[in-house]
Amino acid sequence: MSTLAVDAIVDSSNGNTTTINGTTPTAYNTMGKNRIINGAMEIDQRNAGAVVSTASVNPYTVDRWQVVSNPASKFTAQQNAGSVTPPEGFTNYLGITSSSAYSSASGDQMYILHNFEGYSVADLGFGTANAKTVTISFKVYSSLTGTFGACLRNYGSTRSYPFTYTISSANTWTSVSVTIPGDTSGTWVGASNAGSMILFFNLGSGSTYQGTPGAWASADYRSATGATSVVGTNGATFYITGVQLEVGSVATEFERRPYGTELQLCQRYYYRVESATNGNGQFFMGMNYDSSTFYGILPLPVSMRANPTLTTGGTFRVNWPGGGGTTTSSPTMNQVLPTSAWMQAGVSSGRVGVADLCSANNDTSTYLGCSAEL
Amino acid sequence: MYKKLFDVMTGKDLDTVILRISDNASIPFDPDNTDYQEYLEWLAEGNTPEPAE
Repeated sequence: MSTLAVDAIVDSSNGNTTTINGTTPTAYNTMGKNRIINGAMEIDQRNAGAVVSTASVNPYTVDRWQVVSNPASKFTAQQNAGSVTPPEGFTNYLGITSSSAYSSASGDQMYILHNFEGYSVADLGFGTANAKTVTISFKVYSSLTGTFGACLRNYGSTRSYPFTYTISSANTWTSVSVTIPGDTSGTWVGASNAGSMILFFNLGSGSTYQGTPGAWASADYRSATGATSVVGTNGATFYITGVQLEVGSVATEFERRPYGTELQLCQRYYYRVESATNGNGQFFMGMNYDSSTFYGILPLPVSMRANPTLTTGGTFRVNWPGGGGTTTSSPTMNQVLPTSAWMQAGVSSGRVGVADLCSANNDTSTYLGCSAEL
Repeated sequence: MYKKLFDVMTGKDLDTVILRISDNASIPFDPDNTDYQEYLEWLAEGNTPEPAE
């Protein structure tokens, strides 16, 4: 064994692409190189692997990944739909299944999307002369073959970079990478908690949203001209995972973050606390303020992007020492911060000024959901 | 579409949260919250929320 003690290692062209055991360490491909959150589709707080209908407006599937079917119900989405073997190194994927053979009209919108917060991409310098080149890589599997479309767009819908990729073999995982020059024009949200950019994977959007691939345009595109329509074939499938957006012109190995880290990154945008499998999950401590109102504080595990919206499901109760308890109304919020929510619920416990515990009411469907999505 | 919530502690309607009736969601008055942005658009169309119970 010997020790290498030098001041710099560069490639033969004096560049920065020297590899060490197959990887190219740079300032941008260490921890945090992947600007996509949940690119391996492993976190699914809302649905826990269940099928997501697109009858409702723009539902979230796995965390951070949203789907749009307008008109509604042209496809379903599900973590690990179809139960195929994920690509090597992955255990999950996001699956889309077409619900019919639908011919899209010009203004139809059909896609998967991922929103980027300004803080996550401000250093890319988009909209400035110093805009950095980025590379998007992913693994995709479809029952269809052909040329597919995607697009990177700013949040103001005024700058778009449509691109295409090819799936040559049906029902086979295909690795794709696309390098995009940084956009030196347009308005891109910088270091703030507002939305900055969106990555779209087309499933059959109409011509209004299709642009010439491979160039920045001052337009609102979501796909590339001539892209294959997944919703155009009944039962067609489209699966994707390992999505990465990184600085540079080379697609490097997918960044493996610890599960807990990835979950926390997701919880900045959505946090869900569920009843336990016995239906008695405990949610928060509180106090019977008067004969009809229970107040409590729900701590949030990370500082959320904004003060979150609270949604609930199932039935709730308050419990007190000795095994007593009674049902409550579904909790609402009184006030909220990015780090905690002041909860309130209607209750007739007959206990005033004493502390009790709010829990699920022997109901495995009970949950509290806090959303600060973009 | 939306309904005000009553604050027992102050004896007044909450000026921090509005209830979206369709899914019983509590929406905070935060300009960075996208649900609140939708609520403001709904108000701008001339709508008014239902009174608190």
